[in-house]
Amino acid sequence: MEYDKILTDLLGRDEYLVVGKNVIRTDALDKALGKAKYTADYIPKDTVVVKILRSTVPHANILSIDTSKALKAPGVQGIFTAADVPGDNQIGYALPDQPFLNGEKVHFIGDPIALVCANNEYTAMEAMEKVQVDYQELPSILDVDASLAEGAPLIHEKGNIAVTTKIRKGDVDKGFNGSDVIVEDTYWSPYQDHTYMETEAAYAIPEGPNKVTVIANGQSPFLIREKVAHILGWNLNQVRIIQALTGGGFGGKDDMGPLTSAKAALAAVKLQKPVALVWDRDESIAYSNKRFPARIEYKSGANKNGKLTAIKVKITLECGAYANRSPFWLWRQTAHSAGPYIVENAWIDGNAVYTNKVFGGSFRGFGDLALHFAAESQMDRLAYELGMDPIDFRLNNVLKIGSKTTCDQLLDHSVGIEDCINGVKEASDWVKHREPVWNGKKVRGWGVGCAHHGISTSRSTPDWSAASLLMNQDGSITYRTGIVELGQGSPFGHVKIVAEILGVPSEDIRIELPDTDSTLNAKPTHGSRGLMLGGTAAAKAALKLRENIVCAAAEVLEVPAERIVLRDSSAYDKNDKDNQIRLKELAEEMYIRGYDPGAYGFFKAPKRYFDPETGLGVNYSVYTFAATVAEVEVDTETGEVTLIKVWPAMDCGKAIDPMMVEGQIEGAISQGQGFALMEGMELRDGLVINPNFTDYVVPSSMDTPEIEPCIIVEEPYKHGAFGAKGVGEPAIISVVPTITNAIYHATGVRFNTLPIKPWDMYKALRRKPQ
Amino acid sequence: MPSFKYHQPKTLGEALEQLNTLELAVPFAGGTDLLSSIREGVCKPDHLVDLNNVPELNYIREEGGYIKIGATVTHNQLVASPLIKEKGYALHDAAINLGSLQIRNRGTIAGNLCNASPAADTAPPLLVLNAEVTISSQNDLRVIPLEDLFAGPKINSLEPNELVTEIRFPVPPSNSGSAFHRIGRRKAFTLSVVSAAAYLEMNHDIIEDIRVAFGSVAITPLRLPQLEELYKGKQLTDQTMVELGETVKAHVAPISDVRGTDEYRRDMCPVLMKKSLNKARERIR
Repeated sequence: MEYDKILTDLLGRDEYLVVGKNVIRTDALDKALGKAKYTADYIPKDTVVVKILRSTVPHANILSIDTSKALKAPGVQGIFTAADVPGDNQIGYALPDQPFLNGEKVHFIGDPIALVCANNEYTAMEAMEKVQVDYQELPSILDVDASLAEGAPLIHEKGNIAVTTKIRKGDVDKGFNGSDVIVEDTYWSPYQDHTYMETEAAYAIPEGPNKVTVIANGQSPFLIREKVAHILGWNLNQVRIIQALTGGGFGGKDDMGPLTSAKAALAAVKLQKPVALVWDRDESIAYSNKRFPARIEYKSGANKNGKLTAIKVKITLECGAYANRSPFWLWRQTAHSAGPYIVENAWIDGNAVYTNKVFGGSFRGFGDLALHFAAESQMDRLAYELGMDPIDFRLNNVLKIGSKTTCDQLLDHSVGIEDCINGVKEASDWVKHREPVWNGKKVRGWGVGCAHHGISTSRSTPDWSAASLLMNQDGSITYRTGIVELGQGSPFGHVKIVAEILGVPSEDIRIELPDTDSTLNAKPTHGSRGLMLGGTAAAKAALKLRENIVCAAAEVLEVPAERIVLRDSSAYDKNDKDNQIRLKELAEEMYIRGYDPGAYGFFKAPKRYFDPETGLGVNYSVYTFAATVAEVEVDTETGEVTLIKVWPAMDCGKAIDPMMVEGQIEGAISQGQGFALMEGMELRDGLVINPNFTDYVVPSSMDTPEIEPCIIVEEPYKHGAFGAKGVGEPAIISVVPTITNAIYHATGVRFNTLPIKPWDMYKALRRKPQ
Repeated sequence: MPSFKYHQPKTLGEALEQLNTLELAVPFAGGTDLLSSIREGVCKPDHLVDLNNVPELNYIREEGGYIKIGATVTHNQLVASPLIKEKGYALHDAAINLGSLQIRNRGTIAGNLCNASPAADTAPPLLVLNAEVTISSQNDLRVIPLEDLFAGPKINSLEPNELVTEIRFPVPPSNSGSAFHRIGRRKAFTLSVVSAAAYLEMNHDIIEDIRVAFGSVAITPLRLPQLEELYKGKQLTDQTMVELGETVKAHVAPISDVRGTDEYRRDMCPVLMKKSLNKARERIR
């Protein structure tokens, strides 16, 4: 079935009732008023507090852990170490390299060694000082080159390279020989913290000795359940995860949710008391997963006709202490290496390398942000070298329907990048802005950036999702999805899909919090899959329920099912609209007459595959495309860069809710702006020295540029409900190179390292040959 | 939050008595710096003496040739004061951009100064306005130049039983103007990377008095009176400002940290000073 054609083929309509309209979310007011409940809001006063005792050295063997003095301190309830873990203490996401609690060795400053449980936070903190950990320190490795050096000390037994990737396509030497211009540079993309408003939190309640309930934040209650069961040595049905509303994730809580909940669950089960674990902001910034840093060495060639001829790319990903998601991250970068362009000859090598620093993990854009920073800088350089307009050069090479990706995947539909680029070109009056504009000591410039991002999981991992609907006897509807609400609103998108199919207002459908004891596994809220995969499962559930409602209505109204229309919370005969029944009454009839009032939907994404030797294959089901133009102003006296205005465009298949698309884009512009111009983790000897909002500076509302309405391009995807593709990640990817390309246009200075702080800009301007 | 005893004196006398008699007592007004240092364990008071119920510490008035500001005047009170805008514009400039609206509602002028951060935004303007600080204790009262309040980074020169009760500066003559500029790491709610305040008294093109002060370029907020002397009686031209700026660079001693590099802070001194001087001149009526 082609899910983009539900409206015409199944509902027999040519106009949408709900989908594509802006709807005020039912949670908006509570959130604005501070009434919405997040994890910490569920924790009763005087709950036992868990604090994490962490390693203070970057690389060491643990000789001993002595908790005896701390255990005697008044108010201390218990202290748990690796020795207390009843199940498997190995919790690495992709590779078995990460202990749940470090008992033998530590790999970065921040590794969790013990869980200190006490009556309150300060008692716990005092007790932590009484725990004696003896280390045998090992030489620490703090950058990728030191890690790759011959004879470097090993961080993990199997060597310092966690994973490698490659693509071999065409003949790069031939490609470069046929080039008229070649540009080559090395790009660095640093750590970034997610700075979600709500820090990591879990509240665990033991339900007798064989079951535990955890109320927590995260991005997948099912992955959390799996990891909790794993360290306890339990079955999945012994662990119940209720995901509270979550105050931002951006990928971070995909990793941190399981790690945090498992700690709370272990303590609760051991103590047989409810416990709370809420991270402080400084812990969150210093020790949670980060955007993986990457070094990208990029060579690209083009001929004088303005065609890209070859790319040679070497990606060195810094894992930090653990591989975590690096195999998926690195593969995504590898597969997206060319940017959204056609290139016949590609040679790409990737290495993910360990260091003794905080580990990387999921983060909005998942590798494609760093990759497109490099690729889009290269495209800009080639255009300037060729004397071509940067937009025209891109349009000359852009992917179209019928094109093949770098991995030789044929794109047979849903490719809207060309329209995105043309859209921002026109909206920004691009051709009139081809010269920088001076005003005193300030200069303005305009830049462009493009992006593509494969939706759903990387490395061709199987992907599927599930959702369920229940028609209650009063006609109200309960919706359950494991796709979580973390600000983005995916579940509200699902509900609009359901409402469209059932002909009811979306506010009549209540979204339950994900609860692993009653919600089907939807897989994680990551990879921009929440709407595309979760929404299609919702559509399948709604179509099943619709069939039952229609059959019941046909029986009650005594007309053939084909004639039943569901609309405005009623069912009626399309030939006689007066022959109708309200859903309220029909629901009761469904129960009485034996029509199933519940329905679940399970959706499996099309199979993907690739050849590990060449990297070629069908890597991602579909891509979302984006283009942005930005106007920046550089104060050449102070080096301050102001992002003045951004024109965004995105091909998201179908905007289920344009306002939510806009929300994602505006947030992403701010997050991209922070990454490009303000943030930056500062480490000294492996220790994060700016773990606070005083010195880890993120953009405020005052820094937010003027953002033009997003140009929404709708090239529907046939396996997404109503054609929708993911939005959250693609929104950020083009932002960073757009800013750096605009800075180049304004000043002639090209940055290949981020962030660009005022003193960096100032220094670069002083060094620039006049 | 660790535990402490909380006191709410109703009069200045009561407050000074508590500070004099209680062990490890700390005065508290806005708490915007204090509470975070208590949380971090940097400051471990046994007693907090809340000054918010002492009305005699909250005023802005002109009296006896001085603009007088009570210790608990908040940044937003400064911003809202026509007197400050008219007679101490540089202080208005500093207060209006300090922290966030919430911080400006709570944070006080005496707190900002006594915290003695080299980056305290109210310090450079008050330095160029020739501010003095009144310091009271149960048995004593003294007035010192603002410069002498700063003993080092985050160190003030107060005794534990002493309290800053007033900040005052002479009412500037009508041929004067002042201004303050800063560079932050974003547009709002951030510490200054570097800042500069300037004060000018002009007789047509001739400088009668010139004062400049800088934030975040030394261990304390810094005024450079020895340089100012050289320019009195001279014409204020672009060349004068360039010369003065170059000399300033030789007299500041910034550090490199996560908030900026020493080179950048040094080089921004003349840039911000010039902006402030130009603005100060514009403001002469």
